[in-house]
Amino acid sequence: MKKHNPTRRLTLITMLLAMSILMHMLEPSLPIPVPGVKLGLANILGLITLILFDVKSMILLNLMRVVIASLLRGIIFGTGFWLSMGGVFFSTIITLILYKTNKFTPIGLSVASSAFHGLGQIVVLILINQTAMMIYWLPLLWFSSVPTGWITGNISTQVLKRLKA
Amino acid sequence: MNRYDKFLIIFILISSVILYGTMEWFVRASTSDKVVAIVTYREKEILRIDMSVDNNYVVQGTLGDVFIEVKDRALRVEKETSPYHLCSIQGWVEFANVPIVCLPNHIVIMIQNSKSQPEGEDSVIQ
Repeated sequence: MKKHNPTRRLTLITMLLAMSILMHMLEPSLPIPVPGVKLGLANILGLITLILFDVKSMILLNLMRVVIASLLRGIIFGTGFWLSMGGVFFSTIITLILYKTNKFTPIGLSVASSAFHGLGQIVVLILINQTAMMIYWLPLLWFSSVPTGWITGNISTQVLKRLKA
Repeated sequence: MNRYDKFLIIFILISSVILYGTMEWFVRASTSDKVVAIVTYREKEILRIDMSVDNNYVVQGTLGDVFIEVKDRALRVEKETSPYHLCSIQGWVEFANVPIVCLPNHIVIMIQNSKSQPEGEDSVIQ
């Protein structure tokens, strides 16, 4: 799919971006029994973009997703925006590092992405509140990143299988 | 899922359990007999609660009133106006340094050890 013409490429990335914004905005309303834990459905689209296209497209998609979703929700440059940005920054970095090793499947990439998304949010919370004890929530986010990352990784694998078929 | 994925998952699970154990040990060990809860709104202290007295408090958050309850040396956010009520779902907190973060209301509650001011602290020794 990387060799498709620029128009098709732009159209596909735009569709992926639209879907990731939709996921980003709808996800908080999904009932998850653990407070503060989310599935990370929007990360599926980032991972698909990375595997189908390239690193640059994934970074752009993730950044634009946070900015546009925050604009639509009216929280741009608010605490929620910086939390999302911190999470996306850390999760994108770790995903790219692990992806470059060529040793991990989308499940491993999703789990790492989910874990580092939580780490990024904790770092932002520590910076905002000037309280290192925000790290108290990190074990919960790391532990929950395994089932959530496994679910999103499996969804990514299935979608990629169908897209490549 | 390959062996690298499995190794990564095991690493994350083990590190989260170790970190959780360390944090729990730390908050229990660092909690003294006399503790106060400090309530901040947009990083500014707005209320200091004596945890030894059972009482109810109301503070103004960004989205509305935040109701705080203190009972048996433990504290919780009883109810608040927010989209998902994560703050009140968290439940009772009794140990120092465990934060309650009400993000939409910009309210953070942190239990801290009460420091008594030693007498003559300001005296100059020559």
